[in-house]
Amino acid sequence: MALEQRNGSLYYYRSERVGGRVRKVYLGSGRLAELSAEAERVERERREADREREHAELERLESLAAPVLEIDEAADILARAHLIAAGCHRHKGEWRRARGEARNS
Amino acid sequence: MPEAKPGTLERYQLPADVQERLDELRDLSEKAEAGDKDARRQLKQAVRESAPEVIARASDVSRRAQHMLIETAAGGSELAQYALSGRLDVMREEIAGDNPTPLEVLLTEQVVSGWLWLTLLDALNSAQFWKRAPSEVRVSPSYVRYMVKLQESAHRRFLSSVQALARVRKLQSGTPAVQHNTQVNILAR
Repeated sequence: MALEQRNGSLYYYRSERVGGRVRKVYLGSGRLAELSAEAERVERERREADREREHAELERLESLAAPVLEIDEAADILARAHLIAAGCHRHKGEWRRARGEARNS
Repeated sequence: MPEAKPGTLERYQLPADVQERLDELRDLSEKAEAGDKDARRQLKQAVRESAPEVIARASDVSRRAQHMLIETAAGGSELAQYALSGRLDVMREEIAGDNPTPLEVLLTEQVVSGWLWLTLLDALNSAQFWKRAPSEVRVSPSYVRYMVKLQESAHRRFLSSVQALARVRKLQSGTPAVQHNTQVNILAR
């Protein structure tokens, strides 16, 4: 949305995209235009503040998730290493104990 | 959610030397799985020598991370914090069972952490779908979609950790444990 000043008067327009083209829609002039522009500014600032709050919240969530993911990865590596060291192997994605070796490893 | 103090997140990360040993174990596991007999021999030795300490330290980091999640989930309420800690202790005892091996202790910590993380996400997401939620806690639809994806991923990982513990128990039952002389006190605070 934009305020335009011509010949000392204020005119308020909104840009709309219609069929791939941008066109200006006239919304009012004078005091009404100023109020509309002000309302739009306040709304834009509120949306921006919301975005910032969500961004901060996401960063906080990711920092909380990081240790959980790290432990997940460590546990996966250690479990796999133990199973292989104990003679187990994967067959078509399923872990199996190798005949003979597992109980004696 | 309450903010973490600056620098405190480092306490919840695995130390560099532990990470190095994990990398070594992963490399050896990959080679051993590919049929490298020498790598399998080295892996057995690495599991015998370094895995118990790595497991103990990873379990320790996991416990600290759980504490951070508890503080967040409790939202400043000491009673909620105490109740959640107690709940996790009960879970740990039930899941780890009697005389767990160090690996079982770590996998138990993984299950407990996964449950806690999933519960926290459940609570955060539920708030968004509560009709009477105040407008200041409402977030945009794109944020809710992201949160739901996080929740789904946490749910998958939680189920996978339960499966991993069951698998290790099943496959290691009857096999001589690699080394059981590292004690991790699962009730320590």
